[in-house]
Parts: sequence; structure tokens; C-alpha cells
Amino acid sequence: MAATDQSPISKGYQPVTWNFKLLANDMLAGFGGMGEGMSVQIAPDGRRIIWLAHESAPKNFTAVDVSDPRKPKVVCQTDLPHADMRSNSLETCGNMMAVAYQTSKKDLQPAGFELFDISKPENPKSISFFDCSGPTSRGVHQLWFCDGEYVHCASGSRDFIPTNPSDDQFYRCVDVRNPAKPVEVGRWWMPGTRQGDNVRPPSRHPLDKGFRAHNTNVYPQRGDRCYLGYIDGGMFVLDISDKANPKKVSQWTNSPPYTGFMHTVVPLFDRGLMLVTDESTENNCKDWPKLIWVLDAREESNLVPIATCPLPDHAIYAKAGRFGAHNIHENVPLPTAWHSDQIVLGTFFNGGLRAYDISNPYQPKEVGVFMPPAPPGAPTGTIQMNDVFVDERAIVYTVDRHIGGLYILEMDF
Amino acid sequence: MLDLFPSREAGPFGRRLKRERGARIPVTVVTGFLGAGKTTLLRHFLASPEGQGTAVIINEFGAVGIDDALIRDSADETVLLGNGCLCCIMRTDLQVALRRLVFDRERGTVPPFARVVIETSGLADPGPILQTFSTDRALGGEFHIDVVLAVVDAVNGEAALEEAAEARKQVIFADRLVISKSDLVEPATVEQLTHRLQQLNPRATIDIAVSGVLDPHRIIEPVADERSGFVAEAAHSDGIASFVIEMAEPIEWLTFARAMETLIALRGSDLLRVKGFLDVLGSRGPIVVQYVQHLAHAPVELESWPAGERRGRVVFITRNVLERQVRDLFVAVQALAKVEP
Repeated sequence: MAATDQSPISKGYQPVTWNFKLLANDMLAGFGGMGEGMSVQIAPDGRRIIWLAHESAPKNFTAVDVSDPRKPKVVCQTDLPHADMRSNSLETCGNMMAVAYQTSKKDLQPAGFELFDISKPENPKSISFFDCSGPTSRGVHQLWFCDGEYVHCASGSRDFIPTNPSDDQFYRCVDVRNPAKPVEVGRWWMPGTRQGDNVRPPSRHPLDKGFRAHNTNVYPQRGDRCYLGYIDGGMFVLDISDKANPKKVSQWTNSPPYTGFMHTVVPLFDRGLMLVTDESTENNCKDWPKLIWVLDAREESNLVPIATCPLPDHAIYAKAGRFGAHNIHENVPLPTAWHSDQIVLGTFFNGGLRAYDISNPYQPKEVGVFMPPAPPGAPTGTIQMNDVFVDERAIVYTVDRHIGGLYILEMDF
Repeated sequence: MLDLFPSREAGPFGRRLKRERGARIPVTVVTGFLGAGKTTLLRHFLASPEGQGTAVIINEFGAVGIDDALIRDSADETVLLGNGCLCCIMRTDLQVALRRLVFDRERGTVPPFARVVIETSGLADPGPILQTFSTDRALGGEFHIDVVLAVVDAVNGEAALEEAAEARKQVIFADRLVISKSDLVEPATVEQLTHRLQQLNPRATIDIAVSGVLDPHRIIEPVADERSGFVAEAAHSDGIASFVIEMAEPIEWLTFARAMETLIALRGSDLLRVKGFLDVLGSRGPIVVQYVQHLAHAPVELESWPAGERRGRVVFITRNVLERQVRDLFVAVQALAKVEP
């Protein structure tokens, strides 16, 4: 056997689509730098609208009619009040939407979250604003809102003085049953991160991204639990049966020796499994490897890592932008979301969108890759896939962090 | 072990798949007697948009690398097996080549190619090649044969079929047949060849390539639908027969498995290819089964039945094993299985 050495394939980075079918790409009117908020609403008039958060100013959020996934149509795109803020996260529940506002510096406004009535997708109407600003706060980075009653978020607060300025966002639960007047009902932070705690502050990791909350997932299967990514603090399972007094059930971290920035925790209840993602935040693989971890969670107080979702060697991905795990499809407990405990879909920046079969959780197997060519004007010269959502029709929506906007796909495996 | 993490989404055969190959890399095996026009066909395919992302494995018999040199410029990745005939001594090399493609893809030195095309030597018996993909331990976990294509040229095909058992076998095993060089002969000759091919393999559709060009979809599209239109038993001079066993009622998996075990134990080497859908009791979708001689592919469950076709049917290509014998075996095993202890 002789393999050719002069293969026409360069040994470098190349776009590829494997076991996905691209239905459409929408650059979102030239504002295609998208964040990590994606949520599907069936509007009162029957249209299927996907609401998308933007990575950064100037845009706030964009609504796209995806009733026909081959012909997406932007129906609404709104602006932020100023450039020193972003609204990187949003969720919809029925005809209500919650949007997170985070400022670039402390003590700026508006920092918190805003509730909107989205009955008419072309014309979202503000219902209320929950203020989280303060001298040590940047507001809300991420929120979770699926039951129409509570917003669970990663937020700072005027009365929270962190021991380290990077540890400003913690878990907060806000009652929005009266959407006109949201009221905080509970909070939890990692012991040692607030001034006055009787525990020593945590030791910093070398990249020092903060001991602070990221994703705050709560599912009806276990309404008394919050599955909390805590960046450099790893992840926590919280008992929120008494919302006023959340308690730690368990913690798991991979760092050190890994480099922190744990992002999302998705429990797979039927199977006693848990998916935990890191986020790559450094260009050129300086924080390699950033992975999706599979945990045996049959005993929630003793989480056992049993596998990671395999990635190709990072060498050819290290040349442009980020490469590594970030968001995964979270089985959001809404009728407009696809639910699976067999397939994991995740975004990996220049590694595109990747799908894994975890039917054998000890050996996750890659079953699909979508790495489109760099969108025109891409600053890194590659795609930087940032988030993914799958609707109940099994249509996959994924977004580029910089410019490429929305990609709509079918799974083909 | 996996019972530790049960899932309501999965059936007894694992995750239900949209299609038989699941996520595995699709493979097209192109057979055809010496000089039939396989390379020309392949070159046109690789130049088409559908041919993008194809890794090619070429088996040469004799002189090294002629076909390889013709293909190399257009394929994404070309591996040449230069030591002889793919079907006999080279099967291990084919495995090595395919494994290497997988490893290189994992390492990122080869991009995730979308499909593999294997061009066999003109003298190759396709049976052993299919066997290479039978089990997980072999390459069945990574690759799946979507299409076995046999190219028969209109000028010399008839003579080759007459003289060479390998040529007949290539036709009998094929999912699709392609008549090449039709522009070099009279229409009556093509008609006659078509008739001969239909006799040898009534399952396969027959395409005519014009100047070496064939609709690229015909090279890569899976053939499941065509197979459902299977016709009755066809017997050949080599003792090879093909027939379909239809099952009107759902069957217990164990009953089917036991019957096949018996058949394999007694006549495994004469089961050249067995493939079909089963309506297994308790399963939602059809269970796809496939055997090549002694080796069984891992059965998979599909998400749904083809429209209006909830009915088990298994195609057998056998050597000196008769349809009646297989049918009787199934009836006997089913009858025994029904007896309460």
C-alpha cells in the first residue's frame, strides 16, 4: 500500500460538512455576530420565530421567522442604548422574553434583565426592567427562563462586594410571576467569593477568568435543582427546593490541571448522566483542550467523569481564533425544543458545529460536523461557531460569533 | 454495562437511525471486468460537485499505478493498493488503508472526507470485499457500503460474462449495473446485453453511461428503495441463486437469529450476501440485517418504515442453497420457538 504524499488536500484547516444538510444561512442584515441566546416561539399568528441574542453592540436582539427553515426572514432587529453593553443571552417562554444586559464596566446602566411581550414579533414591548447594577456589578451575563415564573441568572448586584473583582456574578433567582414587578427570591455564591465570607477566597487559576456563575439551568424533572456552571469554580448542583436558601449538593471541577471556564451543565435525567462543557476563551488554542465532559451522575453527590466528546488534534485549528467547546443544545424544557439523551450537539468556534452519539456514554462518537467556509469579512478568517439550538422538528440552528449570522441545518445521521 | 444508563429513546438495537448507514461513512464499491471503463466513470464523478470530499481507494492488479495516476488529480485522497487483487491477498491491505484514512482524519491530517469510493481490480470477487465491512471489529463501525456498482462494457461485456466467473459474480453482487461504451456498438447489442444482465441480476437497475458520464447520484445514492422491488428467484450457471424471503407476520428477534445461526453453521460459506428489513416484535422501526458468509453486520433499527411497507423481507444470494430450503428452515425454527415449555 502506498498513500500519496502529494494529496490535493492541504494539510491545513478546511471547511467541511459531514452528516448535516445546510438549509439556509442568513447574515441577519449585516449584523451576524451572535451571542449565546437562542429561543423558539410559536407566535399567536402561528409563525415560528427564533429569537437570537447578539454577541455585542450595537444590536440587542434579532427575531427571524423560520416557519420555512429554507427561507428565514428577519422580522425584528433592535438596538442597544449604547456601545458599552451587550445582551448576550435571552430566553422566551410563550409570548414573554427575558433579555440579559451586561455592561462592559462596573456601575454602568442598564445592567440587569428586561422582560418583553413578544406577542407581536415585529414589535416587542418592554414589560419591565430588573436592575442589577452597582459599583461592583456588570449586571447579567446569562439567564434561564422556561417556566414563565422564575428567571434564574448569572448576575451581579449592588449589595454584593466580591473578594476579587472578577468574581462579580453569582446565581440569582428572580420571581417574575408578576412580570411588571420582578422580585429576587434567592441567591447563592461560591463560598469565599464575597467579602465577609468566613471561607478563604479560592486560589486563582493561571488564566484567571473569575469564580462566577455562567449557565443556571433548571428543569421540571428536578425543579428543586439548579445545574450551575461556575467558570473557574467548576460546576455545582444546587438544592433550590427552598428558593430563598439554595444549598450546595455537589461540585465537580476539572481545574487544575485544566484551565477553568466551566460553562454549561445539562442533566440527562432518564440516564443518570450529565453533560458539562468548558468554554474556550483564548485564541490559538492557548487554553487547549476545552471539552464536553460526560459525567456519571447516578449519585448526584458524587459526580464521576467517564468520558469526553472527542475532538480532532488541535494543530490545524490553532492558527485562527478560538477552537474548543462552548455551548451545547440544552434540552430546554419547552415544547418548541428538541430533546435527546442520545445525541449531543455542541459549538466549537473554528471547529464548527459537531454532533456526538452518546448511546454508549463511555465512548462518545462523532457523527456529524458542520464547518462552513469563513463568512465574508470574518476577522479570524474562519467560522467561530458560538451557539446551537434544535427545535422540536429537529431543525438545527447555529450561529457565528463574529459575522456569519444564522445557519439552519438538518441532521443527517 | 450500558444497562447502567438506559434511555427511553433507544430500542434493543440501540439508537434508532434515520437510515441504515447512520453516521457511518458511505462507501461505493465499483467493480467491473478489466477495461470496462471504471476509471473513466470515476474521473467524471470526481469532477462533479457530488464528487467533492471523496477519498478513493484503487486496487491495481499487475502494473503499478496507471489508474491511480489518472485519478489522483481529482480525488481528495487517493490510496493505491498495488500488490495484487483486492479480493484475495489484499483484503488486509484494504482494511489497513481504510483504518489509516480514519486515523488520519482523527489526527486532522486528512479532512473529514464525506465518502469513500473503492475501485476494485477487474479480477476482483466482490464477496470478500463486502466481508471487510461486516463487523464492528472489521470496519463496520466506521464505514457502510451504500452501493455496489458493476460496470459492464457494451463491446466486450458479453464475452467476459461468458468466459469469466468473476465477471458474472460482479454482476450478481451488484446493486446497480452500468453499461459503458454503448456509443461504440449498435443499439441491438446494448439491448442484448441488458437482457443478459437482467437475467443474471434481476434486482439491480441498469444505467447507461454515455461517454463515461453517469448521473453522479447513481454512484452514491443508497439502493434500499430499489431492492424493495425485488423479483423472484434467479438461478445462475455457477450455482448461485438469489431470492427473497418475505415475512407477513412480525418475528421474534431470537427466532430469526437462531435460524440464521443454523444456516450459517451449516452453509455459511455459501451465503454470499443476505440483506433485508425485519419486522421484529416489540420494535417500532424496521431492523436492518445483513450477512456476508459467516459474518453478520450489527443489526440496526431505523426510525420508520418506508411508506406503507411494514413487512419483513430478506434478500438472499446463495451458492447451491435453495429458496425452499431456507424457507423450510425458517418455518421449522418458528414452529419450534412457538412451543411453550
